[in-house]
Amino acid sequence: MSELQVVLAHAVKLALVAVLAGLFVRGRARLCWSFAAYAVAILAGNVVASLWPAGFHTPSFWVLKQGVYDALKMVVALELAWRAFEAFPGAMRTARVAVLALLVLSTVALGALTPPSSYMTLWEWQPGVATAALWLLTATALLVVWYQVPVHDWQRAIMLGLAPYLLVFVTLLGLLERRGWAARSQLGILDSAAYLALATFWAWAVWRRDPAPPVPGGVRP
Amino acid sequence: MTPELVLSSVGCVLLCYTLGRYNRALTLQRWQFVLNAPEREAIESLRQRMSVDSALARQALEAADRARESNRVPDALTVLHVALSTLEEAGADRLTRLRAMGIYSRMVRAIQPLPPPAPAPFRDPGLRATASLAGLAYRFLVGTQERFRLWLLFLGLGVRIVLRGGRRLASEAGRQPDRARPWDLFARGLSDFEALDTSHLAALEALAASLAAVDRGGRLRLWDRIAGDAR
Repeated sequence: MSELQVVLAHAVKLALVAVLAGLFVRGRARLCWSFAAYAVAILAGNVVASLWPAGFHTPSFWVLKQGVYDALKMVVALELAWRAFEAFPGAMRTARVAVLALLVLSTVALGALTPPSSYMTLWEWQPGVATAALWLLTATALLVVWYQVPVHDWQRAIMLGLAPYLLVFVTLLGLLERRGWAARSQLGILDSAAYLALATFWAWAVWRRDPAPPVPGGVRP
Repeated sequence: MTPELVLSSVGCVLLCYTLGRYNRALTLQRWQFVLNAPEREAIESLRQRMSVDSALARQALEAADRARESNRVPDALTVLHVALSTLEEAGADRLTRLRAMGIYSRMVRAIQPLPPPAPAPFRDPGLRATASLAGLAYRFLVGTQERFRLWLLFLGLGVRIVLRGGRRLASEAGRQPDRARPWDLFARGLSDFEALDTSHLAALEALAASLAAVDRGGRLRLWDRIAGDAR
């Protein structure tokens, strides 16, 4: 790990601590519990890899932690969809079909078209996984707007932050494939910087106060 | 460019565009309206407004006819433009409501069915053809939601057809004030506008009845879940 990477890793740590603190202080963890688990996993991965690089900044640990992050990202996307449409059976029916179609398509694509996952060929399988997670979020966003389903600003911020980061991640993997392992360090720095921007955005969003709540008594029985 | 990069870019742009424009406060306001289901008052006030619009446009057209018969052509044209501006204002109001009804129809699970659009109430050939096409498309759609939205689409097109025709006829009457044709066609357009208003009201009644069908206890529970953050 270069010095700059260590500095960025510590900055990401601080931002993630701020996100986790905000989640519980502002009571937003309950809006998406799996996001809290995802943030804890990222923080844990970051801590062990930056503090004990000899044992944890390794290809095998990278594949393991990336697998956990990918699974948690999918769970975050699914939980956001479930929470958004839970109270709306008509929209939920459509969302279920869309999510199932996306999961089947991405599973078939990943299973049939990509080689077994290994660190040396990560640009062959990681973009597909990231794209599947991104499209789960996109499908939820499109259905939220189509059915005019209310989602909390924090849930919106999770989606608005994660999607651009996933696009950056896929782009960087494409560059890694084209330039080879020699560019690994620079691309790693770019990835860390992008993640720092994401974590800072989430920290700002999670601590932001809600606007004045609507009056529930406005609905006539 | 890898396929994953293309797909990710498209997905990211779609997500940022849709969620970037998303307004939670406006969404909550819409749900409050849906769950309050102010059907009776809304329909009654719209009915009154439609009859006022129609009476104003008819009166102006009749006054224009009288002025034309007594050879006061400039006066006749001025009053004809008053009739047209009444229709323009009413048309803008109808188009705004049709857009809102399109949004609300997606928020309501079951929409009350409407009959297929038919050309019979209309006199303009373009409008009759549009109604026939919409009636044909109606038979290919299965869901009441989709059929309702087809109605809204047809009504929007209908208002635009009548307004476009009205503008064209008013300028034709200005160029050739002695010809009876543009005046007759304008009167025909006005009666088409009234027929569209009848369908507009029927669509709003169907939507209001659908909103009212949400059970009352369920409305309160749903509102608590929508507006509260305790999820």
